[in-house]
Amino acid sequence: MLQYTLRRTAVGLLMLLALTVLIFIMLRLAPGDPIDAYINPSVPMSASDLDVLRARLGLDQPLPVQYFARLGAALRGDFGYSIQRGGDPVLPLVLSRIGPTILLMVSGLVIAIVLGIATGIISAVRRNQPTDISLSIMAFVGISSPAFLTALLGLYIFAVTLRWAPAGGMLTPGAPFSFADLLAHLVLPASLLSIGHAALIMRYMRSSLLEVLSQDYVRTARAKGVREFWVIVKHALRNALLPVITLIGSTIGIAIGGAIFIESIFDWPGMGLLMINAVSRRDYPVIMCATLLTGACVILVNLLTDMAYAAVDPRIKVA
Amino acid sequence: MGALASEFEVSPDSLSYTFRLADAKWHDGEPFTSADVKFTLELAKNAESGGLFAARSADIASVETPDESTVIVTLSQPNSAFLSVLSYVMMLPEHALAEIPVAEIGKNARWSTTPIGTGPFRFVRYVSDQYVELAAFEDYREGRPKVDRLINRYFANPAAAVAALKAGEIQFSFVEPDDARTFDGDTAFRVIEGDSFVVNYVGFNHRVGIWDDVRVRRAVMHAIDRDAIITSIFGGAAKRADCGYVADQFVPEGLDPYGYDPEKAKALLAEAGWDEINGAAPISWVTYYNSPQVANLMAAMQAMLAQVGINVVPRAVDVPTYNGIVRGETYADFPMTYAGLQNGPDPASLNVGLNGSQLPPVGNNLMRVEMPELSSAFDAAMAETDSAAAAGKWQQVCRAMNEQLPWGTMWVASRYGVASSDLVDFHWTPAPGSGPYVAHPEDWDIAP
Amino acid sequence: MAGLAILVPILLATVTYELWWPYNPNDIDLLAINKGPSPEHWMGSDGVGRDVMARLLQGGRTSLLVASVSMAISTIVGFSVGAVAGFAGRLVDGTAMRLVDLAMTLPPVIFLLVLASIAGTGVGPTILVISLLSWPVLSRMVRSRLLELRERDFVVASRGMGAGLWHLLFRHGLPNTIDILVVYATLQVAGGILLEAGLSFLGSGVTPPEASWGNMLNSARSVLVLENYPRQWMFPGAVLVITVLAINFVGDGLRDAFDPRAELN
Repeated sequence: MLQYTLRRTAVGLLMLLALTVLIFIMLRLAPGDPIDAYINPSVPMSASDLDVLRARLGLDQPLPVQYFARLGAALRGDFGYSIQRGGDPVLPLVLSRIGPTILLMVSGLVIAIVLGIATGIISAVRRNQPTDISLSIMAFVGISSPAFLTALLGLYIFAVTLRWAPAGGMLTPGAPFSFADLLAHLVLPASLLSIGHAALIMRYMRSSLLEVLSQDYVRTARAKGVREFWVIVKHALRNALLPVITLIGSTIGIAIGGAIFIESIFDWPGMGLLMINAVSRRDYPVIMCATLLTGACVILVNLLTDMAYAAVDPRIKVA
Repeated sequence: MGALASEFEVSPDSLSYTFRLADAKWHDGEPFTSADVKFTLELAKNAESGGLFAARSADIASVETPDESTVIVTLSQPNSAFLSVLSYVMMLPEHALAEIPVAEIGKNARWSTTPIGTGPFRFVRYVSDQYVELAAFEDYREGRPKVDRLINRYFANPAAAVAALKAGEIQFSFVEPDDARTFDGDTAFRVIEGDSFVVNYVGFNHRVGIWDDVRVRRAVMHAIDRDAIITSIFGGAAKRADCGYVADQFVPEGLDPYGYDPEKAKALLAEAGWDEINGAAPISWVTYYNSPQVANLMAAMQAMLAQVGINVVPRAVDVPTYNGIVRGETYADFPMTYAGLQNGPDPASLNVGLNGSQLPPVGNNLMRVEMPELSSAFDAAMAETDSAAAAGKWQQVCRAMNEQLPWGTMWVASRYGVASSDLVDFHWTPAPGSGPYVAHPEDWDIAP
Repeated sequence: MAGLAILVPILLATVTYELWWPYNPNDIDLLAINKGPSPEHWMGSDGVGRDVMARLLQGGRTSLLVASVSMAISTIVGFSVGAVAGFAGRLVDGTAMRLVDLAMTLPPVIFLLVLASIAGTGVGPTILVISLLSWPVLSRMVRSRLLELRERDFVVASRGMGAGLWHLLFRHGLPNTIDILVVYATLQVAGGILLEAGLSFLGSGVTPPEASWGNMLNSARSVLVLENYPRQWMFPGAVLVITVLAINFVGDGLRDAFDPRAELN
């Protein structure tokens, strides 16, 4: 097992390296560099200035030289400076975005879990009754709606028309930090984010509970005269939750990358927004650092999952 | 710089400029002195700093500071652009920066953590992708600003900015022309309309070979019903441009208006032998404008061009992609563009885009226009120092553009800002680059 | 079945609309922009006076085409990689799975940007992007199913008899994963439609003036349209949701059909 872990870790590191090469090449294949992003095409600008800027950023060097210079610096813990943001160091910038993203994701997920499991149970218990059917249809609509449209509509309805929540941002600008303020900004994007997840969890919960309810031990409990409520809570629920937990676990790995649509529509300062801005400004150091970080997370989660499988199920040979 | 000098005089030989500095203070309380000016100009001249003004300030021979509030700048040769270059140079505090090695000034962290200036508001903090917070500067030279704080919020999505404006969270924003219309008749807001000073044009890439015949370019102009587009899609909020300018003093009488006439367009194309030149082959039409309004504009123009037998395919890309493509040499990637270039208030702005001497990588002549007559018209206008005579020269430029159609000039659209009616004394001009056009923010106030 | 009942008419309508609808999706009419529904234009007209109904039908054709073709590509790639990994032995398995991991780690935004700038925007590149983003999930599912299968007697036996990889893939791999494939493929069509809409929002995808549901919905980005002309995005929005909903119903039905344990009643 130890040997397996070591080997997988080594492979993981190699993959990170491959990822950096891949991203580096892909970025340079795309037309336009950070300097091109800096120019407003409608405002005249002298070309000699551009060459000065390019040289200052080292963009006039051959690609392999640039790559190895970057890599060497990164190995020493120096991820460079953001091009777009006037020379802010990249690492603190990227790290500062993980917190908000996790906050948004976790809140969204918690809402989704509570909502999804509750509606799933109600649906399963009231199977094929009007409550179940309407809840199921709602869940299907939730799964079937494009995320950006619900976000845009949500922003418009709740922030502009009803004014129940602030229109974007994470904290009121300039105000001292307060938990209530954070919460007010968080509720709307987190709820909108939870729609898709909640619908999915509800579907899983419903079918998993239905399956459990039809099994022998539940029937036995019922036959013994245990009240229906306790049948569900004590016997069925515990077993029915297992597949749902697996589902939730599988979404966490992806979550770190941020919810692009929600973050950009609500100006939530997370990884998704950082990435979109960095790409549109060709801010190479930021893109590299952010990709590396999210990539490391995904690889780590995959590694842990595989190891957990290997530990639990001896039939799967450690490969 | 212009604002920080109370007066200046130029020596008869145009080589020496004497500035009297206004009485101002830096945000950290230190007085603004001639030493700061000397420090800034010498830094600007020094290519090692990685600054952008090295080439343009190369003519500065010496900077002398006889006393705290006087600066004498001597040039090695007369340079008519010197004052305008100076107006773009941002003065720097010597006492704060003198310690930092020249080569590292550009990437020093203090630009984002503790920048100081001499303006009405001082920097408080910057939260990346969220906002910049500024506070009133008590010792501002023209009196303390009326508002205590100024917050500049960033929005990734224009719709979110409009939402925040409507929700009363922000008091002012730039607004897409289409979105400005949703504020019509709403007394809580004031829509500020102004000239964008950007002329939009259909760019013909003069190196791909399909636009060489002027009749083809004329056909494009006749095929597009600009008046109809302006009334319908712009809702009237644009001016038709028959050359690069729309300001009265630069537009001569008797320009060809290129009225909508598809039959004439077809005839011109037939005469030029369009079937041989390109025929129905699709022409990629690149733009960096990604707004829904421009998508509509281009769809309309595409349909109009299709009527006369020119098959264009719009392609909207982001700004860096656009710049990467048009500054490159793969002309087949951008046979045609829809773009804009600043055309005012200074008419010389168009020179870099159209003069044959401004081909990339030197200048911004992205469409590779090489028309001797037009270039000499530009050169003549640029060299004219007398402002009354200059207007006539710019009219010549306009006439040459109208006749030869280096671009298919379309229109100059209005630009919009929307301000909450609570704002008092809010002076603001919608113009590109905003920069020097923002006026007297110290007077802005919010009604109680 | 309810799913099919909705899906078939939509499919028919988008494929045949030229035969019965008088307007062309790209014909502009600047004298009648942003008009409401009328007997001639059932859903009104958009910002350049194009008939919304015609664009909706043409857009449906584009969106469904993009979704189906990308589904086909990602299913084939996903199955091949997963099946080869499952059958071909450890080294290949390890390499293939790391490839899958790598594909899953790539940030989609960058992927999109690069593909869009190399291949341009439009139907083809959009199909490419959606397929490339979708296949890794299927590979993982196919592989884990086949890993269980690999050690079963009949596979061991046929391998002992010297069966080639090709034989293993199609005689044993395909039949034993067909349920995963069919369900995945159906849901992937739904996912593809949603992804195309999302791509439009990010500025790639099928670009206007060519109509797609995604870029029609995207007109809601303009506050003017969102607020004053809601039918320009509501109609495509509604049709998109209904279509995806119907496909999801069909997918769910198929899943139940293949997996009788899931929902007996």
